[in-house]
Amino acid sequence: STVLNSAVQVQCYCTCAVSCYLHLVRCSVTIKIALFHRSSLLLRPLGVQQKDQDRPYQLTARIHGSPSLYSGSGSKAASLHWTGERVVSVMLLALGPAAYYIPGPAIDYSLAAAITLHSHWGIGQVLTDYIHGESKIKVANACLFLLSTVTFAGLCYFNHNDVGICKAVALLWSK
Amino acid sequence: MSLTRQGTCLSRSQFGVLYRHAVPMGTTAKEEMNKFWAKNNKLNRPMSPHVTVYKWSVPMMMSISHRGTGLGLSAGVSAFALLALVLPGSYPYYLDLIHSQSFGPALIGLAKFGIAFPLSYHTFNGIRHLCWDSGKGFKIPEVYGSGYTVIVLTVLTTIAAVAYKGAA
Repeated sequence: STVLNSAVQVQCYCTCAVSCYLHLVRCSVTIKIALFHRSSLLLRPLGVQQKDQDRPYQLTARIHGSPSLYSGSGSKAASLHWTGERVVSVMLLALGPAAYYIPGPAIDYSLAAAITLHSHWGIGQVLTDYIHGESKIKVANACLFLLSTVTFAGLCYFNHNDVGICKAVALLWSK
Repeated sequence: MSLTRQGTCLSRSQFGVLYRHAVPMGTTAKEEMNKFWAKNNKLNRPMSPHVTVYKWSVPMMMSISHRGTGLGLSAGVSAFALLALVLPGSYPYYLDLIHSQSFGPALIGLAKFGIAFPLSYHTFNGIRHLCWDSGKGFKIPEVYGSGYTVIVLTVLTTIAAVAYKGAA
């Protein structure tokens, strides 16, 4: 996946305007991107180091800024989605022991919701990674939405009309 | 977010000063990604070999296994949900039906393993992922250490789960 999913140390070499210095000055900036910060910064290394001085123009660093760095455009949707994914993951971790110690309808329906959502978002990431092309992406996501809906419906039906998820697991492990 | 430049710490408010030549891009990351794929597909470029030529490492294998177990578990859950909607009988009925077959207990054991192994691997490796998300554990020895820990825990948990037989 191309979205940053790890802390990255990026070194960027940029040249300052010749008007500031007599010779070219190379300033290296190390930026540590911490995952839990909302602002995401993608630096493109310039790749070119000016060796000669007869090009007095400035190289600009092209930066994807987060909304707080420049006014107006940019949505927090991706960032919030990321956070949501982690929250659901943690909830699912908590639901494991909960299902063991306090099984019942509340846990059954919570599990149905959390599992379906976690799966839906997880498969969504897989589709994003491997499927390219606007219409293909749309079709794939539509199919995923359908699958997740049917899955959730089936799990809820099972919880309501049958023994429920917790009891089902317990029964399997009792045989 | 702080920037360090040769020991100097700058706060975010001074960010604009350091990058006075910075120009925010007009496209999103998603748009850039689509442009990349459109251009390369249009030029009919072959994709450079990656998984076929790069030497496999434990972290690589664990990463794709995390994805694989996730997909497998999702498929299992969806299949179960679909069967619940389609099949006429109840779960205890079908469970007893399978158990009463000659190959029944073996099949039940296989089902327990089929759930326990991917679920425990995905769970333990998921915790490892959440640690990374909090910024910890990126040094290479740590990556390998946590990886081996996940594998050991998975094996132990699976053995315990398959061996365990509860009271209904």
